[in-house]
Amino acid sequence: MSSRVVLASFADEHDVLDAVRTLRTRGYTVRDVFSPHAIHGMDEAMGLRPTRLTWVCFVCGAIGLFGMLWFQNWANAVDWPINVGGKPWNSLPAEAPVAFEMLVLLAAFGSVIACLAVNRLYPGKADATPPRATDDRYVVAIDVTPASPREHLTQTLESCRVVDVEDRLVAAEDKR
Amino acid sequence: MKPTSFTPSPTAMRNLDALLVVSGAVLAVGLFVAPNRTGDSLSIGAFAMLSVFLGGLVFVAFEYITGARWSVPFRRVYEALASNLWIGGAAMVAVVVLRRDVYAWTPADGAAAGTFWFKALWLNPTWLVVRAAAYVTVMSLLAAAIIWTSRTQDRTADFSLTRRNRRLSAVTLLVFAPTFSLAACEWFMSLEPMWFSTVWGAYHFAGLATSTLAVVVLIALHLRRTGHWRSTFTDDHLHDLGKLLLGFSCFWMYLWFCQYMLIWYSNIPEETGYFVHRTQGAWGPMFIANVALNWVVPFLVLLPRPSKRSAATMARVAGVVLVGRWLDLYLMVYPSSSSAPTWGAWETAAVVFFAAASLWLIFSALAKASLTPVGDPALYSNRGNTHVTHDEHTEGNRVWT
Repeated sequence: MSSRVVLASFADEHDVLDAVRTLRTRGYTVRDVFSPHAIHGMDEAMGLRPTRLTWVCFVCGAIGLFGMLWFQNWANAVDWPINVGGKPWNSLPAEAPVAFEMLVLLAAFGSVIACLAVNRLYPGKADATPPRATDDRYVVAIDVTPASPREHLTQTLESCRVVDVEDRLVAAEDKR
Repeated sequence: MKPTSFTPSPTAMRNLDALLVVSGAVLAVGLFVAPNRTGDSLSIGAFAMLSVFLGGLVFVAFEYITGARWSVPFRRVYEALASNLWIGGAAMVAVVVLRRDVYAWTPADGAAAGTFWFKALWLNPTWLVVRAAAYVTVMSLLAAAIIWTSRTQDRTADFSLTRRNRRLSAVTLLVFAPTFSLAACEWFMSLEPMWFSTVWGAYHFAGLATSTLAVVVLIALHLRRTGHWRSTFTDDHLHDLGKLLLGFSCFWMYLWFCQYMLIWYSNIPEETGYFVHRTQGAWGPMFIANVALNWVVPFLVLLPRPSKRSAATMARVAGVVLVGRWLDLYLMVYPSSSSAPTWGAWETAAVVFFAAASLWLIFSALAKASLTPVGDPALYSNRGNTHVTHDEHTEGNRVWT
């Protein structure tokens, strides 16, 4: 099963922002926008929900921090107490650097893995990115059905200074 | 874009004048009644003020060096801080002159107490004052040059002035790093001359950065609320300042911990003395509060995105950070001269005096130039993200695209 999208390319960051706003107010479904860089205001224009990745990052970091504090405490004070310079077994200052490193490590891994998983990205996946969207074009992917009137869409896009329009079939499971 | 001007509210300025007169009078009395405590408070206040003004210059320099465009619309706040650098510097030099005999290394038998030859050579009252004056003069001249160039650009819109300020910024940062580290060591670390910490300069830089950002946030929000900057200072700018504040707050914590942990771990008596004194008795809770105000609160509050975009939250956090800045300096200075924390008229007067003086100076400086650097080509640049709204883009004459 596959579905149809129209890939509309724009040459200017403001044009694409206007186009996304216009398309959505006219009832089109903007599936995604490809851009060489982040565009301020695009999240709101596309109607994206605030990202939940920050929570993944926070929880993973907390697990790293408290997990490592617990482990060091268990290792140094419970399982195999070692006298280091006469310090108490469970000295927080000595445990902080390792706990901090583990916080950073798990927060980073957790964020990256969660991002890849949610976006269904994996090594070897066929690259669906329009080539110039990594260079000098801003590309909007619009969902269309065979029944939808194309003249209206073309008119709308042209009023937004579109530079190129392309039809493409994409795998349905890519749809979010 | 058109130049926008700022006139401080006459009522506010009158109130500040009154505060300055009252607190100044209390401090004048204090110099005779309680010279040590008043001197300690003056050095905290003058240094806090100086480092905020110096921070303004440093952030302007960062902006030019990195070619940042997002902060150009509100650069005049940084410049307003930096343009008062010579006054803050003069105040600090005056305090150093006043306190040159307070330092424990002053007695002639300092060498006999086991001081190294370099300390004996470096730390003497005359040389201390000469160096303080030199640091302040050099940085003030650089600040004057950068601000003059930036204000000239308002009229000429000449890109070569941006290039000149880039070169000046590079020199500024290169001069800033050693002079500021040395100044921090001489004015504060040498209060306990047998103790030393090699991250002292960097630690002070972290304090400078957080307090500068806090002041910039408060001034920018004030300008937006009074209607001068309705479309110039957006939530995106506030968000980015919030990220910087969050980052520099973590940087402060990182350096605080670097200093503390190495001394705690190696456990060498001549190093631990500094912290032993500061963690015992009534100093202990303040020692913890310092970490809470400078890092725990800003970190936990500023972590979520919405709080960095909320004017009310950012203003409160900025206030907390400024209180933390004061406490941080208090814990460096007071334990070296008193056995227990003290707070009274002299301390209050110094806080009021320098807060009022800073505000008075910043408001006066803001009134001297357009609130937006209207001639800076970076304002009209069309590439990438500048936070400049779409309308401003199309209205502007595209000098440099």
